[in-house]
Amino acid sequence: MNWFDKLLDWFSGYTDKWETNGVKFTIYTTIAVLCGGIFELIPPFFLSKTAEPIANVKPYTALEIAGRDVYQREGCNNCHTQVIRPFKWEVDRFDPQKSFGRDGYSKAGEFVYDHPFLWGSKRTGPDLAHESQIQASAEWHKTHLINPRDTAQGSVMPAYPWLFEESAKLDPSKIAAHMRGLRSVGVPYTDAEIEAGAAELAGKTEGDALIAYLLKLGRDSAELAKSLK
Amino acid sequence: MMNSQKYNDRIVKGFLISALVWGVASMLIGTWIAFQMVFPELNFGPYFTFGRLRPLHTNAAIFGFALSIIFATAYHTVQRLCRVRIWSDRLANIHFVLYNLTIVLAAITLPLGMNQSKEYAELEWPLDLLIVVWFVIFLVNYFGTIFTREEKQLYAAIWFYIASFVTIPILFIVNNLAVPVGLTKSYSLFAGVYDANIQWWYGHNAVAFVLTTPFLGLMYYYLPKHIKQPIYSHRLSIIHFWSLIFIYIWAGPHHLLYSPLPDWLQTTGMVFSIMLWMPSWGGMLNGFLTLTQAKEKIKTDATLKMLLVGITFYGMSTFEGPLLSIRSVSALGHNTDWIIGHVHGGTLGWVGMMSFAVIYYLVPRVWNTNLYSERLANFHFWVATLGILLYIVSMWVSGVTEGSMWRAVDETGALKYPNWVQITEVLKPFRLFRGIAGILYVTGLFVMIYNVIKTIATAGSGWKEIDLRVGLKEGKA
Repeated sequence: MNWFDKLLDWFSGYTDKWETNGVKFTIYTTIAVLCGGIFELIPPFFLSKTAEPIANVKPYTALEIAGRDVYQREGCNNCHTQVIRPFKWEVDRFDPQKSFGRDGYSKAGEFVYDHPFLWGSKRTGPDLAHESQIQASAEWHKTHLINPRDTAQGSVMPAYPWLFEESAKLDPSKIAAHMRGLRSVGVPYTDAEIEAGAAELAGKTEGDALIAYLLKLGRDSAELAKSLK
Repeated sequence: MMNSQKYNDRIVKGFLISALVWGVASMLIGTWIAFQMVFPELNFGPYFTFGRLRPLHTNAAIFGFALSIIFATAYHTVQRLCRVRIWSDRLANIHFVLYNLTIVLAAITLPLGMNQSKEYAELEWPLDLLIVVWFVIFLVNYFGTIFTREEKQLYAAIWFYIASFVTIPILFIVNNLAVPVGLTKSYSLFAGVYDANIQWWYGHNAVAFVLTTPFLGLMYYYLPKHIKQPIYSHRLSIIHFWSLIFIYIWAGPHHLLYSPLPDWLQTTGMVFSIMLWMPSWGGMLNGFLTLTQAKEKIKTDATLKMLLVGITFYGMSTFEGPLLSIRSVSALGHNTDWIIGHVHGGTLGWVGMMSFAVIYYLVPRVWNTNLYSERLANFHFWVATLGILLYIVSMWVSGVTEGSMWRAVDETGALKYPNWVQITEVLKPFRLFRGIAGILYVTGLFVMIYNVIKTIATAGSGWKEIDLRVGLKEGKA
């Protein structure tokens, strides 16, 4: 261990000096901390391959955005993930119809319009990345959201009946601002789409919007896969 | 005490009390949502469902409880280690008020569903701005104290606090960059894979620079102070400090193994996570070896027991972390209750126990009285330790069961348990035990609060130090 002691002597020769100089110490600490961050955060921005948009994947419509807002507000991402790992058992479970061909796991290009990403970190309930291909019935989703026990006995999911009540009617006046905000961070909405947004929301409840969002999940890339087949 | 004139201990008292308040709030909510996972009837919509309470639990625990302890100890140690009063009493008071205002607003806005959906960064942009304001105020005050110090040498404890306080704003600001579209709603500047990368760079380092380095800092100060023996090795603290802060920040991508994140990034995260095991255990060993200098007193001193168990759980969690960041282990453990168990080993075991030890150390000193009851402190220690053990063991079993049932296939290659609820039913008993573990832990906390209230009631009656040095009689200074 002689070389290690020598290394330590050499290193503590420097640090001993830093420890008496608050400015130096703080600067060197900051540099040490920044190295990893710079290495991990900067290069991915310049590597377009890390997130090439998949041809068929389209931005969320006004109603789907409103539904995504509800999904975020209710914290659905605390229990449901939206990323399928490349394992047979995950692909089989979350792509039972093989809608995505042989490679039914999540690709970077599926998430290019997700501000923020909603992959989640805990799977208390099933993954929802391909929900449109697993449960395509809007009526089923409504029943499930009003009382999860009606479609899945033993489920521990909270019930969300109020999402479909009169008080949960969407406010169409806000959606244009939301879409403009998303455009400013890179989602390619046209002026016409933004103007048409309010009409799309008229008369709909938060529950309707949430279902529209759930039925969007995985739909575009599944259609692309089917057209390739 | 003559110290009370030289040093500002009012601010320390303030943060100790806010630690107790937010500690109870976060742990009660934690216990409640643990039972929601078994009895969905405990979700009271729309404001008190799991999805809205879980962020409240984590935010109250990390930013309410842990950060209060961090600020209490930072103000206490920086004045002693620099031998000067805090640079500005007024800035300290502003910091205290704005900080607690933020946590109150968090406790209101999170159940209302104002949530930007990034883990441990759920608060919406107006609150983020408020946080930046008081954090800058705190930083000016903290560094003002360091730069006007009368002690030349910066002691190891203060290194860890400095590293934490320069890194937290960097992480916080970058991850919270968003475009507001209303007072209560914003969209992340980043999308998809990039956003995930930045979130877990932040998320992992919230563990590093909020839940680890400040608590190592307080270990380096309060452990030697409590036992009146020097830290075991100064050179070990040098090497483990610099390697820890350098390596920790790289480990974030281990949260995204097997995701669409670029493979080179995943591998970087995994390699640095495994490397992190060494500096982490460097810190643990330095703590342990320091503690062995007073090992005869562990049987009789509750504070020392808490420090021992805290450091043990630090060692355990920092062994489990690198283990879980190995790809094949992550394949089984990711997204399961195992991760919840791992997190709570660190938070209940390391952060919680170190915090309790510090509270028992500080309360009698800053209120100048003696602890009301050592026996109650001892009871707190045992009930909390039992709670942690029950918690992590039930989550280990639950997580491994869960991961195994997800991947199980029969001889034809088809899923053995295609029905999700079938798996949920199997996990219910373990999740019930988790809730009971939470009750045990919260019970300990209530006992401590009773003890602290009774202690403060006798404030100013004179505090008598117990010397823990081996071979000395108790009470001899």
